[in-house]
Amino acid sequence: MTEFALEIDGLDKTFGGLHAVNRASFTVPHGSLTAVIGPNGAGKTTLFNLVTGLYRADSGEARFYGVSLHDLTPVEVAARGLIRTFQAARIYPGMTAIENVVAGAHLHLKTRAWQHMLWLGGARSEERALTARADALLDLVGLSAFRNVAATELPMGGQKLLEVVRALMARPRLLLLDEPAAGLNDAETADLAALLRAVRDSGISVVVVEHNMSLVMGVADQVIVLDAGSVVASGAPRDIQRDARVIAAYVGGEVAS
Amino acid sequence: MAGETGGIKNDGDRGTGDVIQAIQIVIGGLLQGAVFAVLALGFSLVYRVTGVINLSQGAFCVLGALLMYTFQVSWGLPVAVAMLCAVLSTLAFGLVIGYTTFVPAVSRLPVSSILVMTGGLLTLIQGVLLIGWSSQPYALPPISGEAPVQMLGIRVPTQGFWIVGTAALIILGLWYLLARTGIGLALRACAENRMAARLMGIDVPLMTLFAFALAAVIAGLGGIAVAPITSLEFDTGGFFTNFGFISVAIGGLGAFAGSVVGGFLLGVSEQLAAGYVSSLFANGLALALLLAVLLWRPNGLFSAAPARRQDVRDEQRIHRPIVRIEGWGGVAFAILASAFVLVLPMVLPPGGILNSLVITGILFIAVLGLDVLMGFAGQVSLGHAGFMAIGGYAAAVLATTYHWPPLAGIGAGMLLALLCALGLSLVTARLRGHFLALATLAFGLVVDSLTVGLTNLTGGPSGLVGIPSFSVAGYSFGTATRMYYLVAVLIIVLVAMLQGAMRSGFGRALQAVRTDETAAAALGVDVARYKLAALCIASMLAALSGSLYAFDFHFLSPDMVGTTRSFEMIAMLVAGGEGTLIGPLLGVALVTLVPTLFQPFALYKTFAEGLVLVLCFLWLPEGMFGAAAVWFGRLIRRRGAVR
Repeated sequence: MTEFALEIDGLDKTFGGLHAVNRASFTVPHGSLTAVIGPNGAGKTTLFNLVTGLYRADSGEARFYGVSLHDLTPVEVAARGLIRTFQAARIYPGMTAIENVVAGAHLHLKTRAWQHMLWLGGARSEERALTARADALLDLVGLSAFRNVAATELPMGGQKLLEVVRALMARPRLLLLDEPAAGLNDAETADLAALLRAVRDSGISVVVVEHNMSLVMGVADQVIVLDAGSVVASGAPRDIQRDARVIAAYVGGEVAS
Repeated sequence: MAGETGGIKNDGDRGTGDVIQAIQIVIGGLLQGAVFAVLALGFSLVYRVTGVINLSQGAFCVLGALLMYTFQVSWGLPVAVAMLCAVLSTLAFGLVIGYTTFVPAVSRLPVSSILVMTGGLLTLIQGVLLIGWSSQPYALPPISGEAPVQMLGIRVPTQGFWIVGTAALIILGLWYLLARTGIGLALRACAENRMAARLMGIDVPLMTLFAFALAAVIAGLGGIAVAPITSLEFDTGGFFTNFGFISVAIGGLGAFAGSVVGGFLLGVSEQLAAGYVSSLFANGLALALLLAVLLWRPNGLFSAAPARRQDVRDEQRIHRPIVRIEGWGGVAFAILASAFVLVLPMVLPPGGILNSLVITGILFIAVLGLDVLMGFAGQVSLGHAGFMAIGGYAAAVLATTYHWPPLAGIGAGMLLALLCALGLSLVTARLRGHFLALATLAFGLVVDSLTVGLTNLTGGPSGLVGIPSFSVAGYSFGTATRMYYLVAVLIIVLVAMLQGAMRSGFGRALQAVRTDETAAAALGVDVARYKLAALCIASMLAALSGSLYAFDFHFLSPDMVGTTRSFEMIAMLVAGGEGTLIGPLLGVALVTLVPTLFQPFALYKTFAEGLVLVLCFLWLPEGMFGAAAVWFGRLIRRRGAVR
């Protein structure tokens, strides 16, 4: 029997008169790379916000490896190993690139502030180990040259990649990426695709919200299509491309289904 | 800065019956409240257009009144002409200040920085008033004579009608402007969405300037109206700012009707507290009202604040460059700086300068804590001197009155400050931005009013005398040299410890909280916990500083650890360099040493502090130390350790 990293079970959210997420249900198998696509306003980001505890669902729930995420705060969600990125890259502005990446390891820090206050050896060596790992990740995505540069001075594509590797420092079991390819050029998108495959192959489940169809079709194991808050289709990328409802959602609502 | 000077003089005779007395007090409160309401309207106006609280508001109140004094009393102009001149001068001043500082700040600084910068403007204008009118109290002659109107045994000063009339005129005028004119429409568009307003061709900077200057004129008119029944000094503006700000917070930021209601509510409750409890505690009780409202309805009674999306960053502008000194450069710098500090007394001439350096060091300990809280965790604290007062008074009272050993007194003071920080955090935990700043300001003012009011314990306004020197197990630090080395070693140890903590995961978590709470939480940073940790560190260091201050001076008065000091410490921090730990020492030294070295500058101290704060925010956001480090880093190599 398949183990599910994430089960979305009838999630529902209304903002005033807007039904942002309408009884959405789908599953993300462990170790898979799932893409969530849909036109603007389809409720993709709201879905992420519901799963990660930023919003409360009106009804329904999300389960993470069988455990309900209902009523958890964003911090508690992150502590369980579900790490997300944001649509607009939200790297920390006051820090350099390397500091941003190291900051991602927050959940796994073993030494405490007082040990650092006393400059104890254990604290220093943990710091060195984290920095070495962060450097390796920066190298992986080709950002080593920007190591000591203020993170906000990186080009947009660099900031998006930085946010992804910062999330990886948190050693997620499931990684939620909100439009990681927005603002990336073709070469950067190809790098991102390679990174996503490598992440999936290392055993981390990935859910990616994306507009870039070539990226989605190239890397995803399954694709979920959202329209007006509802799941209208799901399946392998090849099947989705032929699905009339998907074409309807993207091209216009008047295509017969 | 609050309290005594700003209150309405109560000249009605008491004892003509409880009811009449109560009515009399309420009338006094309504008059006071009318001024608060007018000020609150100014706050709301600027807030609606720019999203910023303009703390300099109260100073324009005093500026208007003192200009009126000059034109009416000194120059002998007729009332109407004098008033016109005073209003036009206030307008001109508001336009100049707005054009040179506020408009550029709004266009490029993050909101919390603009808030503190307007605090600097408040100090700067008070400095101008001090230079222009010196530090004596002023009262204008009532417009229609001294004799009060007598109705059913209730006496109302005729000026009261002028106050209420002015307030009504301002309220109606503002309503007409906003609801019925094209300018009003443009102003409201800026309030809704500045970016969209700009895209629609509205000159947003011009509207910002217009709102700022109009608010200044409104405040000035309020000051002119109220000056005959109260006495004003150069620093009364702080009182008006605090109470106007509190009124608008009670009523709801940006809500015009709420501002008026909040102003009257605050005025009446303050006068009732003064009349029936004690004028010394009046501020404290008014602030308790504010805290109750903040706890009950954090957005005020008439909320105008729209809901915000959490997954979109609302603070795009983090204006401060990153300052880092790492590796061997950092070690070398630390050794050189420590050696310099330890050798300095040997090369200095004996006398006053060493005492000033001790004060510099003691204040730096408090500013160090403020740097952790503000520079790293990004939490604006406008009442930080309150913790100095708690620590200072606790240690001083225990050592002086109860003969505790000074070290035990310091420990008790720090513990008390920690407990107060925990209590304050219960209120502030749910507050962000302006409301957090407001709550810390209120906290500082509550402590202010307690240090003044608990006369038996603290010695009241005239201060606590006869505080012993600091001593440990019989070894007294009674001389300047001994005190210097005590403070110097303490600072070196504290800076080393905090440096260790700030470059670790703890420091990164604080900075994450400062720049992006939502992203920090998504990576598992418990935002509330780190804010609290920073507040605890800051409060204990402030308490330590306050107690050393008391032991060094052998004297402690409310002025030394009051709200003015809170703003001064922010000026020191920003001028030196936020988020650099050691940098603020330069800021403290600048503010503390320069007036000591050049006595004639004492008159200009307030003005200079305000100017430094404003200039640093606008043109040197990384502070003196940051600028020096960046410059030095570029000098030694193009890229590498220092950035």
